[in-house]
Amino acid sequence: MVRLITHNLLACHVKGCNSNNFPLEFKDVQIELREAEFNPDFLKGFMPKLEWKALVDAARQLGDTSLPLELPEMLDDDFLKNLHHVLLEIHVEEGTMTCPNCKHEYPILNGIPNMLLAEHEIG
Amino acid sequence: MALKYLIVFAQVHHEFRIPELRSIAELHGFTFSLPPSPEDQDPTRPYMVLDLDEEEHALILARRCILIKSVYEFYGQGSTYEELHASNRKNQARWARYVTDTSFRFIVTAYNHKIPQARQSEVVESFSYMGFLGKIDMKNPEILLGCFEEYTDRSGITRSKHEGDGQFRQVYFGRLLEEGSARALVGKFNVKKRVYYGNTSMESEISLLMANQTLACPGKLIYDPFMGTGSTAYPTMHFGAFMFGSDIDGRQMRGKEKVPGVIRAAKQYGTASRMMDICTFDVTRNPWRCGGLFDAIVTDPPYGVRAGAKRLGRKKELSEAQLALYMEYRNKPRSDDQPYFPPTKPYELSSLAVDLVLLARYLLKPNGRLVFFLPTVTEEYEEVDIHLMLCEGMEVIANSLQDFGSWGRRLVTIRKNTDREYPPPSFDQELQAPSTHIPAHKDFREKYFQGFKKEGEDVPVLE
Ligand SMILES: C[S@@+](CC[C@H](N)C(=O)[O-])C[C@H]1O[C@@H](n2cnc3c(N)ncnc32)[C@H](O)[C@@H]1O
Ligand SMILES: [Zn+2]
Repeated sequence: MVRLITHNLLACHVKGCNSNNFPLEFKDVQIELREAEFNPDFLKGFMPKLEWKALVDAARQLGDTSLPLELPEMLDDDFLKNLHHVLLEIHVEEGTMTCPNCKHEYPILNGIPNMLLAEHEIG
Repeated sequence: MALKYLIVFAQVHHEFRIPELRSIAELHGFTFSLPPSPEDQDPTRPYMVLDLDEEEHALILARRCILIKSVYEFYGQGSTYEELHASNRKNQARWARYVTDTSFRFIVTAYNHKIPQARQSEVVESFSYMGFLGKIDMKNPEILLGCFEEYTDRSGITRSKHEGDGQFRQVYFGRLLEEGSARALVGKFNVKKRVYYGNTSMESEISLLMANQTLACPGKLIYDPFMGTGSTAYPTMHFGAFMFGSDIDGRQMRGKEKVPGVIRAAKQYGTASRMMDICTFDVTRNPWRCGGLFDAIVTDPPYGVRAGAKRLGRKKELSEAQLALYMEYRNKPRSDDQPYFPPTKPYELSSLAVDLVLLARYLLKPNGRLVFFLPTVTEEYEEVDIHLMLCEGMEVIANSLQDFGSWGRRLVTIRKNTDREYPPPSFDQELQAPSTHIPAHKDFREKYFQGFKKEGEDVPVLE
């Protein structure tokens, strides 16, 4: 935790920060790898929701280059295994996620990201 | 042709029984029929005969429904033993295969009554026309035959022990097909045996019933936006689903040790890898990038008695000290295990409920379900309460009351019945024109602490 599937779903939500607010940039991260159950149907079902480029970039930043830059047409087993590993098995335990637009920093502590905003950041 | 099965229910949460049967049938892609007469569909009665297409379906129900004590292959029923035996004879085709060489045992029992030993033997004798040739085996019989007499509730009426014996409402007979094995999960998920829990944790039986309402199974992603100590998550993950949790108060999910409490509890149940992630945020200020993500949302919203609803915003001015802390926070955001939080203001339950349905419509996939508790003052409750919080694309499919006397809570299941995409809610219910009907859950917290006192009535105030 934070897994990359989660990272792919979270955008900066500071008041007025509506563009270029995704993906959040990882900084000073500590990573752990943990095995998860492989479920190809889950992966295929989730793919339409993913921002592919953001996922590939985040994976590369964390040292995993197994995913192709372009989403392949054929979802073979090798590809799904790599996707499984990237989405579900890489956990960011410590560090921060920074908004590329407003630079708000969301800290991650013991695997839990704090996405809570301060008063001046809400509507 | 439909086959009949006798369901023996556990004697709890009767309003949850049929919704649970329906959910598990839907999850496994089959249907069943309730008995034809409304009287026999009454969910407060302990026995019910269902029509199913296959024996396999009866097994599935017995293995997944928390409220099923056991399932019998149905042989007969009646309001007298004459009727019962007549109906049992008609079903001879179902039991004839056990006549020649099957060891068996009989049990004769009653609901709301105790049958004297002598009459129990009489009842067993009365089945002798079935001509079972196998030996009677009290310890390890190949089949167990059950005869169940249902009496109406006579509690509060003084009577001698066996008075009214034989004056049952209905008697049922069948062969045990399967003991309900999901009930054991109530013990497995017992909160007191959990390595991490708090005063908002929910009893395991209820959280299991909620998990069944979500249709949890492998490959699904389910979300609790008011995660707390994670009670809704453990059963859901046990049934194979991935779980995502968030809460405005990170300490509720963390507890005091380095490894967060909800993760430790998930490990205890062997499901930590299905805890997708946990996040700290105010659900009314949420960071979800898009909607259509979840198969279900399952939650016990904060209704103010134990864990008040809050949202970011200011209720009153800050003190000097708070202001200093606030400035510090502003300059340097920090993690959520620190003692300071941004200011919050109370969040009225009826607006929260409306917001929750709108949020669910945004975040759920088509056909996804929202399963949540709604506390309500029983006497004032009207059906309209729930329909008031609905919006286009969301329909109530189950609504079961857990009755605590002067108050209760309803487990509501709502389905998103459209594949249209909706925008995220604006969370400004409080600003919108109030509707003329005031739902019974409005200002629930205030009513609770007044002991649900009605005007002019003098009721001691709860501490
Ligand atoms: C009734 S408790 C849920 C209990 C949970 N089922 C458990 O097992 O502990 C409600 C939770 O909602 C949280 N909460 C209150 N207002 C919130 C908000 N605006 N956004 C997110 N969480 C909130 C509280 O911190 C509390 O943990
Ligand atoms: Zn931002």
